[in-house]
Amino acid sequence: MEINVNKKNYTVDVDPDMPLLWVLRDILNLTGTKYGCGIGVCKSCTVLIEGVPEQSCIVPVSYAEGKSITTIEGISENGDHPLQKAWIELSVSQCGYCQPGQIVRAYYLLSKNPKPTVEDINKEMSEHICRCGTYDKIRKAILLASKE
Amino acid sequence: MENNTSQSRRRFIFGTALTLGGIVSGFAFSNKALAELIVFKDEKKILGFAPSVWVEITKDNFVVVTVARSEIGQGIKTTFAMIVAEELDADWSKVIAVNSQGDPKYGDQSTGGSTSVRMFWTNLRQAGAQARQMMINAAAQIWGISPDDCYTENSYVYERNGTRKLAYGELIETAMNLPVPPLNSVKLKSSSEFKILGKSQKNLEEPNYVTGKTIYSFDFRYPGMKYAVLLRCPYIGGSVKSFDATDALKQNGVIGVYQIEEGIAVVADNSWAALKGREALKVQWNEGPNANLNTEQIYETFRSLIVNTGQLPSKTVKEIDVRFEVPFLAHSTMEPMCAFANFKDGKCEIFAGTQNPQYAREDVARALKISKDNVTVNVLNSGGGFGRRLNSDYITIAAKISKASGLPILFFYTKADDIKFDYYRPASVHAIKAGIDSNGKPTGMIHIIASQGGVWPVDPPYNVGGYNYELKSSAFGIREGAWRSVENTQNIFAIESAIDELAYLAGKDPFEFRLEITTDQKLKNVLSKVAQNANWGSSLPSGWGRGIAAFVGYGAYITHVVEVYVSNEGFLNVKKIYAVVDPGFPINPENIRNQIQGAAIDALSTALYAEITIEGGQVQQSGFHNYRWLRMDEIPEFDIEILRTSDNPSGMGEVGFPSVTPALCNAIFNATGIRIRKLPISRTPLTSVEKQLTKDNYFEVNAFPNPFESSVKIEITPRSVLNKKLDVEIYDYLGKKVIEPKFKYDSAKYFADVNFEILPPSVYYVVVSFGAERFSFPIMKVK
Repeated sequence: MEINVNKKNYTVDVDPDMPLLWVLRDILNLTGTKYGCGIGVCKSCTVLIEGVPEQSCIVPVSYAEGKSITTIEGISENGDHPLQKAWIELSVSQCGYCQPGQIVRAYYLLSKNPKPTVEDINKEMSEHICRCGTYDKIRKAILLASKE
Repeated sequence: MENNTSQSRRRFIFGTALTLGGIVSGFAFSNKALAELIVFKDEKKILGFAPSVWVEITKDNFVVVTVARSEIGQGIKTTFAMIVAEELDADWSKVIAVNSQGDPKYGDQSTGGSTSVRMFWTNLRQAGAQARQMMINAAAQIWGISPDDCYTENSYVYERNGTRKLAYGELIETAMNLPVPPLNSVKLKSSSEFKILGKSQKNLEEPNYVTGKTIYSFDFRYPGMKYAVLLRCPYIGGSVKSFDATDALKQNGVIGVYQIEEGIAVVADNSWAALKGREALKVQWNEGPNANLNTEQIYETFRSLIVNTGQLPSKTVKEIDVRFEVPFLAHSTMEPMCAFANFKDGKCEIFAGTQNPQYAREDVARALKISKDNVTVNVLNSGGGFGRRLNSDYITIAAKISKASGLPILFFYTKADDIKFDYYRPASVHAIKAGIDSNGKPTGMIHIIASQGGVWPVDPPYNVGGYNYELKSSAFGIREGAWRSVENTQNIFAIESAIDELAYLAGKDPFEFRLEITTDQKLKNVLSKVAQNANWGSSLPSGWGRGIAAFVGYGAYITHVVEVYVSNEGFLNVKKIYAVVDPGFPINPENIRNQIQGAAIDALSTALYAEITIEGGQVQQSGFHNYRWLRMDEIPEFDIEILRTSDNPSGMGEVGFPSVTPALCNAIFNATGIRIRKLPISRTPLTSVEKQLTKDNYFEVNAFPNPFESSVKIEITPRSVLNKKLDVEIYDYLGKKVIEPKFKYDSAKYFADVNFEILPPSVYYVVVSFGAERFSFPIMKVK
């Protein structure tokens, strides 16, 4: 099976039912995408498929075949996307575990809405759970990044 | 016992084993070679000059701080690095923090009780100052001048009366041949000289967090590594009777199935294959002694243990005698428990996020029956801890599976495993009897705690006129463990709620009453400041309420004022949280702010929703869908003030939790007159249909069964013919619409069967609108 992750083609020989998450993590060794709940609730595993956020823990790899996938590793080459810079500037993270998923969704939000309001951010980002409670900082970081 | 392993499908470990002594913290490296060197650092290899176990200086002028407490989200790597860098006069942009191994040479490594900073503050400062002194001594020797004629700044030594300067990195070879001054002989800075401490510094880990490069347990990789999951008996205290692994072993990618003490392990080429293999296992369970156990039975037992609350002094003119109940809680960290183990040639190497690598080392040694000298525990960053990782169950399981399979193993709990096999925050029932005299002064407090035995008492932070406690216990075999702020979570909720009840009993303002009953100036100060910030005493609109509570612990003081609005429908809206924290000396104010806000959201989430329930001997919760956490659109506004009142820092990871819950409950009382004495709060309706339908009672409303488990039948019967459209919607506790049920009309009744299967247990509000009229009635989902 051919999949395209972060603009790179990979041939993977896996069960077509295998969730994309495990293909990314265990087969391609792209471990930035996190396992959180495995049932699509916490959104730690968020990736973009054709530019749209999907829960890689419940999406079978066969669904992603031939489509373009973007993971946290593909957001920027050197960790210098405005969102990543804003996260660093504001020291958003605590344990950091949910943040790759948060950043991938924030990236999607800014791609369709470059100047989001607080309400826009709340609506989009309330999909995600952060057990450390960094929500306020995430909101501020997205606003900061949207100014760049 | 090994069960039918297919030898031919096993892969052998090839190449030399990697030894990773320290995993580097987040750092944007300009020097790639150095980055690689440190990521794959052997603990026994010296990177540069290491005058102590805490700090090394490299040729490239980097400062590497070894952090022997575990990073679980409290920011300890940045905090410890700041402390060392300050006294070393290091260039903060070239400081790296690495995780240590578990080794007694670092002292006590248990990341619990918010002790890290208080225990290591002086030691780490001395380590920094010692290294700095040696840099000066080396430069002085090279230049042939007195050390007194040198000074340091940003990782350089300068000649005081000249132009010469040398980078620390250029001095390490000379320094290696100089005597190391004893730690207690070096001079420490006065706080007025601090350049790094006391000022907000960015989190050193952040560059790795935001790029997905941090290596958590789940991300650890090793040549030949296999993945494993465990099927455990769902009955508390039960065990495996028999199992058949035939189908599991047929799954593509499954390598072997092994029974260990804790259950049946499935080892596979990847995580998914391991999970599929587990699903295909056929198992018979011994249900054990708790097959009929349920949580209500546990509470009932705890209640029955409290028979007599005793007598208050005779000067008591009014008293309260109330019960508070708190549930079991799972930690539900973002990253479920996971550990890597490699048992080979009688030795075991571990890589795991753990809050106690030294205990883990001993536990693994015991589990494998080998000497702890043959066990190495390398600490990785944890995706949340909250006390969960003080237990090393998942680490010893990984070790046992590695031993049974002969393979390097990454073992993980699924989210459901993680919740169902946790060490829970203990449930307890608290009886508090407290009184006031004719002047409204406290006459005494009697506090009886009934639990499984894991909840010990906490003194009230006030003078309550004498405090007596008594502990009652009855054990049900439910595993318990430490939970962020431990016994304070239950005690402070009960005590600060009772103090509030006493204030109202005395006819006094809850803030003024608290000021009156303490002589502690630091407590008075944080109480007054939070009241001032919250504009305490100013009038609030109808439906709004304010509550206050305080907590003293971990060397710090904190107060919270919570502002709530409860709508006519009963929706609870937590509007704003004010906090004033006195940490003594705030090492990294921005990190403190993060901790205080995070702990408040943690406390709000648990107070509102969280409860582990047991039915038929099994834990009922399995994920964030039925064990809820607040999300971005549900959090309140924050106003946090961080004081600086001394030169001694305190623990900041837990202090922000305990007083939030009682402040919230006290605010709900202020808004509604309803006292919340049982957690989680969302089991108590904040309105009733009677309250709203007093006069023009057009309707009769019915829900049955109520309380209900997965679905409820709702019936609305108008008393007369309606000439307007009837709308019915169902909202959650915080007023978010969750269901728009379709109602049918028949025999003068509107009715609907509403399915709640995917929604967590809570009170929900059925809101009925017809024309301009609107009312709600609460229904209760219990499972």
